[in-house]
Amino acid sequence: MDPIALELFKNAIFSIADEMALTVVRTTYSGVLKDNMDFSTGFADAEGKLVAQGLTLPGHLGSVPTAMASIMRHYRDDMRPGDVFIMNDPFDGGMHLPDIFVFKPLYHEGERLAFACTVCHHTDVGGRVAGSNASDSTEIYAEGLRIAPLKMYEAGVLNKTLMTFIERNVRLPVMVFGDLRAQLAACHIAEKQFAGLVAKYGTAQLKLYMRETIDYAERLTRAALADLPDGEWSFEDWIDDDGVDYGKPIRLFVTLRKKGGHMVVDWTGTAPQVKGAINNTLSFTKAASYTGVRSVLPQGIPNNEGVFRAIEVICPPGTVGNGVLPAACAARGLTGFRMTDCMFGALAMMLPDRVKAAGDGGNTGVSIGGYDAGRKPFIYVDFTCGAWGARPWADGLDGNSHMFANMASHSVEVTECEHPIQLLAYEFVPDKAGAGKYRGGVPFRRDYRFLEDEAVLQVRSDRRTHRPFGLYGGSPGMPSENYLDPEGENRILPSKFTMTIRRGNVFRHVLAGAGGWGDPLERDPAAVLRDVRNELLSPAKAAADYGVVIFENQIDPKATAKRRAEIRAARGWREVPKVQWHDPQTLERAAA
Amino acid sequence: MASYRVGVDVGGTFTDIVLLGSEGTIHTKKISSSVENYAQAIVDGLVEVFAETGLAGEAIEEIRHGTTVASNAILEHKGARTGLITTKGFRDVLEIRTLRMPRMYDIGWTKPPPLVERYLRQVVDERIDAQGAVQRALDPRDAERAVDELLAEKVEAIAVCLLHSFTNPAHELLLKKIIEKKAPALPCSISCEVLPEIKEYERTSTTVVNAYVTPIVSSYLKALRKGLDRADVRARLLLMQSSGGLTTDAAAVERPVHIIESGPAGGVVGAQALARARGLPKLITFDMGGTTAKASIVEDGEVTRATEYSVGAGIVIGSRLLTGAGYTLKVPAIDLAEVGAGGGSLVWIDPAGALQVGPQSAGASPGPVCYGKGGDTPTVTDANLLLGYLNPSYLVGGALKLDTAKAQEVFAAKVAAPLGMGLEQAAYGAHLIAASNMIRAIKAVSTERGRDPREFALFAFGGNGPVFACGMAAALGMKRIVVPPSAGLFSSFGLLYADVEHHYSRTFRRLLRAADPREIGRAWDALARQALDQLALEGFTGDHAKIRRSAALHYHGQTYELAVPLPDGPMDLHHLEEAFGREHEKTYGHRAGADEPVELVSIQVVGLGLHEGTNVPERVRPSRPEPAPPPPRRAHFGADIGWLETPVLRRSDLSTPRAGPLIVEEYDATCVIPPGARAELDGGGNIVIELG
Repeated sequence: MDPIALELFKNAIFSIADEMALTVVRTTYSGVLKDNMDFSTGFADAEGKLVAQGLTLPGHLGSVPTAMASIMRHYRDDMRPGDVFIMNDPFDGGMHLPDIFVFKPLYHEGERLAFACTVCHHTDVGGRVAGSNASDSTEIYAEGLRIAPLKMYEAGVLNKTLMTFIERNVRLPVMVFGDLRAQLAACHIAEKQFAGLVAKYGTAQLKLYMRETIDYAERLTRAALADLPDGEWSFEDWIDDDGVDYGKPIRLFVTLRKKGGHMVVDWTGTAPQVKGAINNTLSFTKAASYTGVRSVLPQGIPNNEGVFRAIEVICPPGTVGNGVLPAACAARGLTGFRMTDCMFGALAMMLPDRVKAAGDGGNTGVSIGGYDAGRKPFIYVDFTCGAWGARPWADGLDGNSHMFANMASHSVEVTECEHPIQLLAYEFVPDKAGAGKYRGGVPFRRDYRFLEDEAVLQVRSDRRTHRPFGLYGGSPGMPSENYLDPEGENRILPSKFTMTIRRGNVFRHVLAGAGGWGDPLERDPAAVLRDVRNELLSPAKAAADYGVVIFENQIDPKATAKRRAEIRAARGWREVPKVQWHDPQTLERAAA
Repeated sequence: MASYRVGVDVGGTFTDIVLLGSEGTIHTKKISSSVENYAQAIVDGLVEVFAETGLAGEAIEEIRHGTTVASNAILEHKGARTGLITTKGFRDVLEIRTLRMPRMYDIGWTKPPPLVERYLRQVVDERIDAQGAVQRALDPRDAERAVDELLAEKVEAIAVCLLHSFTNPAHELLLKKIIEKKAPALPCSISCEVLPEIKEYERTSTTVVNAYVTPIVSSYLKALRKGLDRADVRARLLLMQSSGGLTTDAAAVERPVHIIESGPAGGVVGAQALARARGLPKLITFDMGGTTAKASIVEDGEVTRATEYSVGAGIVIGSRLLTGAGYTLKVPAIDLAEVGAGGGSLVWIDPAGALQVGPQSAGASPGPVCYGKGGDTPTVTDANLLLGYLNPSYLVGGALKLDTAKAQEVFAAKVAAPLGMGLEQAAYGAHLIAASNMIRAIKAVSTERGRDPREFALFAFGGNGPVFACGMAAALGMKRIVVPPSAGLFSSFGLLYADVEHHYSRTFRRLLRAADPREIGRAWDALARQALDQLALEGFTGDHAKIRRSAALHYHGQTYELAVPLPDGPMDLHHLEEAFGREHEKTYGHRAGADEPVELVSIQVVGLGLHEGTNVPERVRPSRPEPAPPPPRRAHFGADIGWLETPVLRRSDLSTPRAGPLIVEEYDATCVIPPGARAELDGGGNIVIELG
């Protein structure tokens, strides 16, 4: 194998996958795709093995192989040029119903050589709640249209029956079809570009290079894994509840077994699947596992089958990480984010100096849907997150998407022009970040005022009772909050709920603060002062959590030394706690 | 006596000066940049040219200047101490940004620090709704309080950005009045004036950058003017904008946000002018220097522009999908794709045994191994030297001698041996991989924009561009390469071709079918009047002032817009809708059905100030004499062809067509022409290469 020719081929094939992604971005109708980048593109070989994934959503890592396997299972011997496949069934290769896959087999002189693959999160696929992402559905049948692996085009002819069926079962067919067109456009671009590669390399060489591109990623991954220590590490964390069985925590438990160039990520011990719609498919659990491992590997390893060969993911069927029929899974994003955080926890046990504490817990989903006076439907869907856990060398990020999703926020002004919603606030909230030598990220709040007569408000949040953990002495972040009419009744709402709202109602969501890293008493007082000056931390909290005494924007060094000594004596750490879910004070109070 | 126009491009290492006489003579000067005070090198350089040529200050009629002063201020965080006033509840829009990060699995990612720290961000209790109605009036006392707090913090500039001010600017204008009353000399940027467009983050960021760089740009231009005065140069000073149009020094101080990407624009504008002059409908420009390579498109004589970009984003290969780095600016800029590949890019082997090039660079120091300045990691330039493309004793006219033996030794030990390859095979591999990285930049501006590169000619410049151009063109199926005169100084030279240009835009959301054409026409007219007033101020009136209109549209529901130019004359909305459909099809390969409503999102006007007659003569005469013809040397053209004895020419030797292999050596650049290709000079002195 000529390493130079291979490098040139890799550049070409990954640039096709990226180009597909750009095509989706530019032609899509929905903000979820454009702003949230909630889609992925890829390129698989003739057997459906992923060769290249475009620069898109980490949460979709591993989704294409599972979906491709399903297509192959159904159609291996029933495929011809001009076919295009469509599917979204979580129990037959999909992830959750809004994620619709479109695949196109690519041929040369009658021989199938590759697949162009796209998966996009669609704004609505029907079901009982607008946006098709309700967290309180209890079985898949309530969640929307379930599309088995089917032919959207058969030998170039559109399957009109299927399309009509879809059209009649989704709330915004123009949007869905617009985005399906974007997926087709991406496949079309890939087909054109791929033909160029066939002409350049010839089919035999092309197959060889595709295989070698996968092997190359495997070698890189194994070499990087071999540099990490061997051994076994476990971590557990809890989701507050599933929004149906209120108050019943859901355990996530992961064990990493690493030997040489191979890593096993084993989720055995994770809670059984739940009634609420936060059950993962195995593919999504894989994506969370890969994302965690990749964050401690060097940048630049290509995303493909080769990576997956070196990282084995186990999760028993019937658990929240591998739901079986009729598990509801529309809101499984939550579980994916939290499994990623759980991976960070386990990796932090393995590599104390390289991994971050828990962030805000991944995005909160807010959807507001209903009908205006003219019976025209409106759907407003907002996914938002922004506080990163502290790193062993730096504060957590303030206002940055969770790594698992890398989503963008919608513009407030555009939202107000297009939806019956007004945003009253989108700003940082002080005193919520977990203290530490490096503090956790500062969360923000969003206040939504509703401007139509009536709508259904659906919220999926978490990290209310189980707070974002701090590491190696760092404190946990403060819990998330939900309120109705904060300037009026100020009713406290649960972390997950569905309710009717009326004109003028204001819903406030405050993200959880992120966990800190390291002993807060070791934090540079100048950094504490900077946070106080920026009104991200009150002087009272500065004294209580960090022992830094600040008066009129000046540090009092003497008082600070005294206060720090007092705290040190009072807390009586014999060793630095590796993981903290609760404030030391809370524990003291509980003990008393 | 001839009068001269001057193009000056200031880079991090070199300041390039080109003087063009009215009769076609050109003088060039390359001197070290004066990093502490960029104006100094410009003045010194001109004085040196005067001494060499006997010219005097009064011979200079106009100076055109591309500068990185503003972008450096941002990159180095050396701008003004800036205060920001925003709507209550939205104090952190500037810092929260869009939430996205440009890297996927990077725990170490650090967000660019906000240009205004939180304690310098004041809020006022006011609200304008999405329809532009005042929901909560701004109390002047609250406004005064906010301004007073910032003044007490001794800010050096203030930016104001309130929600929905692009629809109703009343509250912002009240704040402006108060700031002007309390601190008349303080630079103050108001979002409804800087960028009256929807999207609060983009508008806030743009307005803040404008405020942040105003004092530094203003003092720089004052210093430059003073230095020019001392050299008796009274000429008018024009600055290159990111859009590729020129602006006056006075206007640049008002809207410095338009000159942030001033540097790389000159070369593209020069390419545009040559494309028009030579009748080349489709060009891809390719500018490769020491650390980066940039590509852009010139189609039907027009550069392509992006409406939004990030400054200080660094270079992320082939990934315009990954946003979130740098500082967002929503002002028109030439649409450039940049990759971290240049002569200094490092050649290395990754843990899986694959050969890699860049994006890390050896920079100016230590530089490539062959420079003998302590560099011990092989670079692209070392590979090019080993392949025989570069002359070890004639780089920068012989000022820089290269150590071939050293380059051989290090390349063999660090690249060839681990790969188990011969030296030339490894060097050629590095050369090809560098080219394939740069091909991603070209694809970013062509195939990713729905353009087929095979229909384009490659226009190559920069010190290293012409070394790679033929190989890259061949890989992309492109047939023709054009290498302009003074290719290594072309960014300066290109400045001479630019026109004065002012861009105005406004958000104007209407469904086309429901819109009143007269209302839309009036909105455009208002922008056009603004443009004409500005041009008149600069002395462009009558036939010398031209207006171009365009619109940004999308299918209702889409979140991305496409820009469509609008012909002069009365407003025809059907025409506009049809033009949009065609553009959508051209760019994305499909258009929606006729029943899908098209929405106008924003309107734009460009005011052009046109100079008398042609800007640049058809053929220029460099004053620098060509050296004696160098001897031929062996150059390597890949495993299939191997080493060939290759004639080395001067540019003028191509006045009769020649077949490759050839190497053309010049003071500022080297051009490699492979076997099978043919090269000759066109009427403009450009090297035109046709691949076989």
